[in-house]
Parts: sequence; structure tokens; C-alpha cells
Amino acid sequence: MNRLLQGSAVVGIGRTKYARASGRTALSMAAEAARDALADCGLTPADVDGFTCFGTSGTATPSQVAHAIGVPDLGWSLNVSGGGNIVTTTVAGAATAVLSGQADVVVVYRVLGSETRYGKAAGPITVGGEAQFAGPQGYLVPPQWFAMFCRRHQYEYGSTSEDLGAIAVQQRQHAARNPHAVGRDPITLDDYLNSRWINEPFRLFDCCYEVDGAVAIVVTSAERAADLPHKPVYLLGAADSNRFGGSVDQWDDMTSMFSRDTAPKLWSRTGLKASDIDVACMYDCFTFTVMATFEDFGFCAKGEVGDYFRAGRATYGGDVVVNPHGGLLSEGYIHGMNHHYEAVLQLRGDAGERQVAGAETALVTSGAGPFGGALVYGTATL
Amino acid sequence: MTADLSEAFSFPPQPDPDADSRGFWAATAEGRLAMCRCQSCGLWLQPPLERCRVCAGPTEFEDVAGTGTVYTFIVQRQAAVAGYLDKVPYVVGLIELDEQLGLRLPGRIVGVEPGEVVCGLRVQAELVDLPGGEYRVPVFRPLGAE
Repeated sequence: MNRLLQGSAVVGIGRTKYARASGRTALSMAAEAARDALADCGLTPADVDGFTCFGTSGTATPSQVAHAIGVPDLGWSLNVSGGGNIVTTTVAGAATAVLSGQADVVVVYRVLGSETRYGKAAGPITVGGEAQFAGPQGYLVPPQWFAMFCRRHQYEYGSTSEDLGAIAVQQRQHAARNPHAVGRDPITLDDYLNSRWINEPFRLFDCCYEVDGAVAIVVTSAERAADLPHKPVYLLGAADSNRFGGSVDQWDDMTSMFSRDTAPKLWSRTGLKASDIDVACMYDCFTFTVMATFEDFGFCAKGEVGDYFRAGRATYGGDVVVNPHGGLLSEGYIHGMNHHYEAVLQLRGDAGERQVAGAETALVTSGAGPFGGALVYGTATL
Repeated sequence: MTADLSEAFSFPPQPDPDADSRGFWAATAEGRLAMCRCQSCGLWLQPPLERCRVCAGPTEFEDVAGTGTVYTFIVQRQAAVAGYLDKVPYVVGLIELDEQLGLRLPGRIVGVEPGEVVCGLRVQAELVDLPGGEYRVPVFRPLGAE
């Protein structure tokens, strides 16, 4: 049996405004995004029988959100515990529910409120699990973990601050054409280099832009998609990798990430390769996440990402457009669900001023470090 | 950091030992650095486990030499974690211990200017009191430095 998902499609997309401090509850934002996604595809809450989301804290549960928009009886309800690593797994899970007949129409969402900021300093706490060895050393939060990866890459492959800056600058350029993005003021390489240190080798502009907001997408069968208003965007295939129990510190080669293992699985399942991809929504909690995963997916060799970006190969008119919406770095951090929204928008041809001409395939990655996944969308089945 | 936050943020996170990790903290309290090791196949395990992840053999904490190599490191320039607020910039490294390839412990690197730390630097553990509680934690100092 093949391992493709292309009997399923994304038919609706929805979202809230992204704001630094919305003052709203997670439940209200998730409900708005879900309603927006259903309205987008001409379906009603009564048509929905599946809901799923992921999160680590501060979310609203699938049953709460379904109830809040008037779904009479939610059948398939799956609340996945995880962060950026689990986004494409959750979306692919919705597709498998549809393909297996467990549900007909599934809403997948992610909501983040002000109480879920990852980048803020933690108050007085005790830490268990693996963090009990790290926290007491003043080492506990994601910018620190991924700066550890980045440093090792710089040591082994000679990558530089200027290479990271090329990614940050280009994504900000893309966001300038995205009215929904929170970070739209252009930055130069000098602005990047002069931005304040967070933890070396990361500066402020290496870090994503945390916001409040929600994104929802509607997944159903390819058959049903044919009767709905938008051109269907098919889920072609997906793959995941989980090593070292999610331990950053024990991950064997910190110049690479989960994508080292995910990419060969994904390309094998779909028969595709990097050069087949038109739009790459690369998970970008930090600039370096783009660098490591971009190499792992085979867009270029180790240590060449900076040159690749500077040569214009990762933007309009190049080989592949990376994060046309600006990504988590500039559009806003909706934990990678906004990458799925953007991929669908681009493949429909509805991205307006930032449309990637002739976009037929989109790679969406999720996660950083020792675990994550990836998914390919297409305008046609394989 | 402003005064109203200084109290709450003055101490670093305290460890919350569990049944698998208690031996680590018992050893540091006695001035030793000990890591979890399988008594059947000899594999060192971090984080510690009750049973070996490869052969399911029983584990014990065994002393390690405390020498290792800086695999990678960061220089913390902005306070992101409670404690050490008056210590920025500070350096945290992932220290690969000599006992086994890939066996790493996170630890602050002391006794050297941040700009002098490099991947590959040889270091030696020493135990220091963790502010705000009763625990002792390892920090790492370049080998040969006083």
C-alpha cells in the first residue's frame, strides 16, 4: 500500500488578526478562526464532525471550540500534546481520520494567547525531567537550545551571522507585502547585525515574533472537495521523525535537525525532491532552524544557505520561495499553523501581491531540533 | 531588572529530583559528579533512567572523572531565565564527558572570558552551591586554569 494522503484536501482556511496583546481568550480566538475557515469553504458547523489541535499550554480544547461555534455533536476529537514539532503530524492526522472514515470534515487549529509566551523570563520555579539539569544552569528556553545548534554549525561549517541575517532580512522583505504580518518594517543586514544580543550567536532578529492569534484549516476528502468553492489543495504526503526522546542536549549532530531523517522519508513516500518544490514554508522559530532544515531537505549543501539566499535563489524569481508570508520571524508566531494557511493560499493562487507565480507544490515543515515533521501540498495529485 | 521583579527572579530554577535522578543530586551533595550507568552493558544514560534504554539492564549512578570537551555553547547576553541576572553575560555549554561519545551535560563555563570559549575547549567539572536552595550543581572550568 502506498503511504500517500492525497485522497484528502484542504478546502477552507481561516484566522484571526495577529496581535502582540489581543486581550482575548484562547477559546474566542480559536472559535473565530474555525468559523472563518468554514465560511471560506461554504460549510457550516453542522457539517463538521472532527476537530483537532495541538499545543503545550494555554490552548482551548477541540470539544470546547466545537461547542463554542455550535457543532451539535463532535465525533472525532483529538487534542495533541506538542509544539512546533507536531504541527504537520496533527494535520496529517486529520487527513488519516478522513481517509479512514472516522470523520468527514475536520477542523485543525492552533491558538496562542499572551499567557503562552515562550520567550519570557520564567519566575521562581522548580524544574523536573531533563530540565532539572539545565534550568539551574540558567539554560531553559528555546532561543538558548537552538543557539546551541547554531554555534556548532558555525564551528563545523563556517556559517556566519551574515548568513543568518540574510534569512532574517529576506523574510522581512516578504512580510512587507503581507498585510496580515506583524513585522513589516524592512530591515537591512546592518539592522540585523546591530540588533541586540539575546544569547550569542542569536540576536533579536534571529527570534520569531510572538503574537496572540489563531489559524484553522478544514480538511475533507478529495471527493467532497470537488464540490466546494475553492480549488482543492491536496495533501500529497507527510513524514515525521522523533529521536532522543526530544532531548536537545543529547541530539547527536547539532549541525542538523529532525529534517535529516524526515526528508528522505518524505521524498521517498512522495517521489518528489527539493527541486520539485515551488513554495517552502520552513518552520522558523529561529533563523537557524531555516538554515539547518533547508540543508537537510536538500535545497543546498551544508554551509551554503547564506550564499543561496544572497544569490536570490530563495525568493521570487529564484529556485524556491521560502516563507513568502514572512514566516514566524515576521508574519507572527502561530506555532507553524500559519505556514499551512500560507501554503494553501499560494497553491490556490490567492496570495495577491505576494503570489508565487505558477505555484503547484508547497513543502511545509514543522519543528526544530530532535523532532518534527513535514508535509507536501499540491494542486494536483501525484 | 527593575526592583519589583528582583525578588521573584533572584534565584535560578531549582531541580525537582525524581526516582530516576535522585542519585545525581545525592552525589553532588557529597561533592561528586555521578552519572547514570547500565550495570549490564555499561552504557551511560543521560537523562537517567531506571532501566537501560538499549538492554533494559538495571542502572546505578557511578562517579565520572568530570573532564570533558565543550561540544557547543552560548553566551547569555540578556536575562532569559530567573537567577544569574547580575551575572550576564554568562556562558552555558553542552559538555561532552570523556566517559562516552555523545554523553552531554549542560553547565555554566566559568573562569574564562566569554570571548575565549571555543568548541573543543577541554574543561573540568567542579561543584558549586546553587543559590536559593540546598542543591549543588556542576560548573565547568577550562582544564589547567585556576
